[in-house]
Amino acid sequence: MFETDILLQDTREILGAVPVTLGMALLIFPLSAIVGSLFALVEYRRVPVLRELVMVYKVILKGVPMVVVIFLSYFGLPAALQFLYSALGIDANAHLMPNWIILVIAITGCVAAFQAEIIKGALNAFDTGQSDAAYSLGYTGSQLFRRVLFPQVALTAIPDLTTSMMVIMKALSLGFAIEVIDIFAQSQLTAALNYYYLEAFVIAVVIYMVIAYIVTQIADRLEQALRIRT
Amino acid sequence: MLELKDIKLAYGSAQILNGVDLSVERGDVVSIIGPSGTGKTTLLKCINYLAKPASGTISFDQIKMDYQRPDKTAVQAIRLRTAMVFQQFNVFKNMTVLQNVMDPLVVVQRKSKEEAKEIALHEIERVGLTSRCNHYPSQLSGGQLQRTGIARALAVRPDVILFDEPTSSLDPELVGEVLKVIKDVTSSGITSLLVTHEMQFAKSISNRIVFMDRGVVAADGSPAEIFDSPSSPRLAQFLNSEYSFQ
Repeated sequence: MFETDILLQDTREILGAVPVTLGMALLIFPLSAIVGSLFALVEYRRVPVLRELVMVYKVILKGVPMVVVIFLSYFGLPAALQFLYSALGIDANAHLMPNWIILVIAITGCVAAFQAEIIKGALNAFDTGQSDAAYSLGYTGSQLFRRVLFPQVALTAIPDLTTSMMVIMKALSLGFAIEVIDIFAQSQLTAALNYYYLEAFVIAVVIYMVIAYIVTQIADRLEQALRIRT
Repeated sequence: MLELKDIKLAYGSAQILNGVDLSVERGDVVSIIGPSGTGKTTLLKCINYLAKPASGTISFDQIKMDYQRPDKTAVQAIRLRTAMVFQQFNVFKNMTVLQNVMDPLVVVQRKSKEEAKEIALHEIERVGLTSRCNHYPSQLSGGQLQRTGIARALAVRPDVILFDEPTSSLDPELVGEVLKVIKDVTSSGITSLLVTHEMQFAKSISNRIVFMDRGVVAADGSPAEIFDSPSSPRLAQFLNSEYSFQ
């Protein structure tokens, strides 16, 4: 059913898109985790006003399909930035912003809403008796955060956060909509030239599976090594 | 050295403390007993401001505060001179036994790591956990966790140590090892307040017993006065019910 030389040649081409895809994922992952953490902290500390804003943000970005967010960013972000530039009197052309940056921003925005939930869950799992103990010993709020709360919450959240790496990998395939070439887009383009669509997509599936396997292995090892401390 | 006056505290519509007076002299070992829900633990937590009374005053040697005008400096000064042992242990889960005991010395008291470690190892030995020094809380039994809590409290060299039902969440066979450590601590002369349901134990280690009922101090006296000739029917009834369980 499959022709070996086609498979080999396609694999080589599609593999070429792996570094770019992984690169973007490795950029989005920490960015969304940081933004998500800030959102989670705002909710955990019940910061007025900001808390309501975060809730609205989460409802919107969890509810709207990611591809819609990507298109909105594609058409909206450069225009908004250009407006900002001219308001600040900066002489630059925002429309030169590369599409991959728009994609990274859009996916970061979406995934951050989910990361916020993961970190909020980890914060809620923190046993507050430890805060009492710390305060009773004279710790300040920031000492408590630095020494006790943050290390524990980070460990609790790491396994789930790592899983979201796969969500990001898959979301990047939507970049095809704005001409960013990831693994999926490359297989589409490769197949468009030789019409071996099934082959190209099977190769993409295998590549995604290998990446998923490696990511879950890392997550498992990490979780096992850290479990003892929570 | 420590005096609480007219402490009042309510959670929502439930009045927990209804004008409590309590004074403690240096070297006292005071046990606070009484039915569940009468505010014993809450009273203890008022001292280090983990519970926030609506009114009343505290004086701790030179430090004085009116709870209607909470003062951060006074709260911190009191916290630095007291230490608490909790019913739920509340050891830091991301730290080993040694780190738990050292951390307050390094972070709060700004001692060097070497000095903190030396003090910590000494206190850990005192509670008999030297062999568990590098274990994490998830690897310890309840009794070991509580002894870690006690070592952590001792290491900061407090003037007053507050025990909040230290054996109430332990398996029965682990209670003994913790009581033994507490007895060793209280007999060393450190001023102690102990909320407990262990009547025999309270009787044997304390020089004063405070009986709380419905948010007030209902009786206050030597162990002999409280246990052998209870002054009020409520106290007699309470002691009866406690003994019938033991």
